[in-house]
Amino acid sequence: MTFRFKFSRRGPVRYLGHLDMMRYFQKVVMKAEVRAKYSEGFHPHQLMSFAYPLGVGMETDGDYMDLEMEDGNDPDEVMKALNSVMNEGVYISAVTVLREGAQNAMAAVTAATYELILECDDPIEGRLIIEKAVEEMLASDTIMADSKKSSKNIRPGIFELMVEPNADEQGIRLYMFLSSGSKLNVRPADLFNTLLTMPSVASAGSSFKMSLLRRLEIFGMTEDGKHVPLINPDVL
Amino acid sequence: MIVKPEDRKLALTHEILMSIDKPSRYTGGEPNSVMKDPDKTKVRFVMCFPDVYEIGMSHLGIQILYGLFNSWDDVWCERVYSPWTDLDKIMRDRKIPLFSLESQSPVKDADFLGITIQYEMCYTNILQILDLSDIPFYSKDRTEADPIVIGGGPCVYNTEPIADFFDLFYIGEGEVRYRELIDLYEDCKKAGICREEFLKKATGIEGIYVPSLYDVTYDENNRFVSMKPKYDFVPAKVKKQLVKDMNEAFYPTAPVVPFIRATQDRAVIEVQRGCIRNCRFCQAGQIYKPVREKSVDYLLDHAKAILKNTGYEELSLSSLSTSDYSGLKRLLEELMDYCGQKKINISLPSLRIDAFSLDVMNKVQDIKKSSVTFAPEAGSQRMRNVINKGLTVENILNGAEMAFRGGWNKVKLYFMLGLPFEEKEDAEAIAVLCNEIAKVYFETVPKEQRQGSVQITASSSFFVPKPFTAFQWAPMNKPEEFLEKAKITKAAVRAQLNQKRISYHYHDCGTTIIEGVLARGDRRLSASIEYVYRHGAIFDAWTETFSYENWLKAFEETGVDYTDYIFRTRPDDEEFPWDFIDSGVRKEFLLREWKNASMAKKSSNCREQCMGCGCTEFGCGVCVE
Repeated sequence: MTFRFKFSRRGPVRYLGHLDMMRYFQKVVMKAEVRAKYSEGFHPHQLMSFAYPLGVGMETDGDYMDLEMEDGNDPDEVMKALNSVMNEGVYISAVTVLREGAQNAMAAVTAATYELILECDDPIEGRLIIEKAVEEMLASDTIMADSKKSSKNIRPGIFELMVEPNADEQGIRLYMFLSSGSKLNVRPADLFNTLLTMPSVASAGSSFKMSLLRRLEIFGMTEDGKHVPLINPDVL
Repeated sequence: MIVKPEDRKLALTHEILMSIDKPSRYTGGEPNSVMKDPDKTKVRFVMCFPDVYEIGMSHLGIQILYGLFNSWDDVWCERVYSPWTDLDKIMRDRKIPLFSLESQSPVKDADFLGITIQYEMCYTNILQILDLSDIPFYSKDRTEADPIVIGGGPCVYNTEPIADFFDLFYIGEGEVRYRELIDLYEDCKKAGICREEFLKKATGIEGIYVPSLYDVTYDENNRFVSMKPKYDFVPAKVKKQLVKDMNEAFYPTAPVVPFIRATQDRAVIEVQRGCIRNCRFCQAGQIYKPVREKSVDYLLDHAKAILKNTGYEELSLSSLSTSDYSGLKRLLEELMDYCGQKKINISLPSLRIDAFSLDVMNKVQDIKKSSVTFAPEAGSQRMRNVINKGLTVENILNGAEMAFRGGWNKVKLYFMLGLPFEEKEDAEAIAVLCNEIAKVYFETVPKEQRQGSVQITASSSFFVPKPFTAFQWAPMNKPEEFLEKAKITKAAVRAQLNQKRISYHYHDCGTTIIEGVLARGDRRLSASIEYVYRHGAIFDAWTETFSYENWLKAFEETGVDYTDYIFRTRPDDEEFPWDFIDSGVRKEFLLREWKNASMAKKSSNCREQCMGCGCTEFGCGVCVE
């Protein structure tokens, strides 16, 4: 049976890369002494996979890990056991059992939401500039983003993009709802870099720094085409 | 209040962390790292391994002391490692003070900065640590605003090249005297006693050496003559401290687990300390004498607790020579049983190859990928007698034959070149031995059973004489001699019948020369080390950052004839700058061994027969078995 865990990661532990995060979870499973299933072969390993690799520096409130378990494990007990040995800003907030034949987490991903905090010397002025840039971006049909290898039009993958009020007056808070997964993957960092090339930012001469990037939720798609969180029974 | 790991404020900004390689080297918060309330502790001790995080986190000694110190309520022990060159530059440019991983606060504010000194090539990194912390390099320039800088580890068996940079050194095993030292510090702090007075009082604790309280004299040839205490109460000899009963010693059952992959990324149990072998080139073999074993039951309890507390999927056994551990068979059997159920791998240290070790390796390793390792250290039997390495050609060939029958076809061999009394034939003998092993393969394994062919990898390092060994009087080879010998070996390999099956590598010789100077140098070298550091030297243990020319220039500019430390045979009666340390091993014993080496005469190991080295005085371990 496969368990799907929803987890958050906040604080200094966000500077781990994806592979280190995986190693961290493997150790947590060992420490908790829950009965995970192992691969065959000379060096058996846990059968663990993630919906979406977490980049270095990114926080999350809604990432997902799938883990193969031996039969007879109780999901809530396992979640409790894992959380009891997890003390480093990582926390499992929900668990569910996948039905037989369900898509694995990575294949199921279609979208994700993010918040991004920007810092600027003059936050009031800066906020206006970013609001303008967002408007410009949403008004055009084509937004070319340069990632490492290629340049692609990310505009169809921007479902929502808005500047939000920020309780902490320190920065400018951007909310984004972006297409993810194999169809069209829009990386928040690429979007941010492209935003900085918008005419209103380029002409303003202010400099913006990203001080926080946090994934809020990862979505899959229901049969009738709705984005729902990866733990929703309709995508399991 | 204790700060929760996720709420800790980091010393580096998000922007900086995102611009450097492996930012989690600097963010702390790893499982089992210890957070304490600074208001409820009296002493903040920052422990440093002066190399990059992944290397430092692999070191067992720091884990032991970190666990021990943090088991005391009044002490908060934190960690710091050398910032890699990318962050080093940023910290200098932006004047960011070096910080400890736990509290993320400046190292300079700590009470103690403890530096473990594991190899000579980290000396420039020690200056980097002091520099980035804004602590003066020289003990004499420090004030009440600076931490007490204390050094420990194997390099303290000749502290002199770095003596001026340290306030004090701890000679021996840390478990024994630190409580006393910290108590003294707390008393002095409470009574408002100044730094200088504290250091004077610290000389009353066995094993503590305060370099500033000794006068060193040199003769007209600039050679070391003597080192004398400045005051009556300062001991002329400083005695090595050691744990008498390893089953009573503290051992951390919840070591800090790095998030990123460390060089040694597994649970470790230390099966014994010390070594019985008396190899004449080996410093560790002498300074950790006598060998002291832990009981099998104690080790099993610890192994289980460590695995449970860390979640490691691999366990390794640590010691200088695990094959000599008397309880090895039972220990491995029980561990294999336990780990097998839990899907935990056992990583074996280099065991002596025999029927037993091959059987164990067969059970825990994938033969297709693994190799068998021999460390003959020298190619000819005469040279192995010179260095007292009790491994014969028969041992090696029999072991190889058994391994080949068992399905292995990869063999690794370690050698040294530039050993005392070495001749051309000895360098050639390395190649002959490799060829013999290949020959055994072809004779043992029938053609139809060969899967791939035999692969023999031989590597040689260049020999560096170390203090407290029989070779402390020995001259080192000059760079051209080293390279000439490596060439001889290489050519001899190429001349062998099975040469296609043998690959041969040798190490860099520039590093070797500098290591040799620092290993047996004296106090005048601190100026050279400072010079080379100020001219950009850092991470000298890394080939990509080491510059031999830089060092040679530093010796020249600071007026040090480095050749005098390494290229001459030291007379039998020469006084050494490290003679003031009482390691338990007597100089007369080492001299006797030096003479035996010159006659290629073997000595026995500590279990066969006591060689009378002097360590029986400790009254523990193999000496009282």
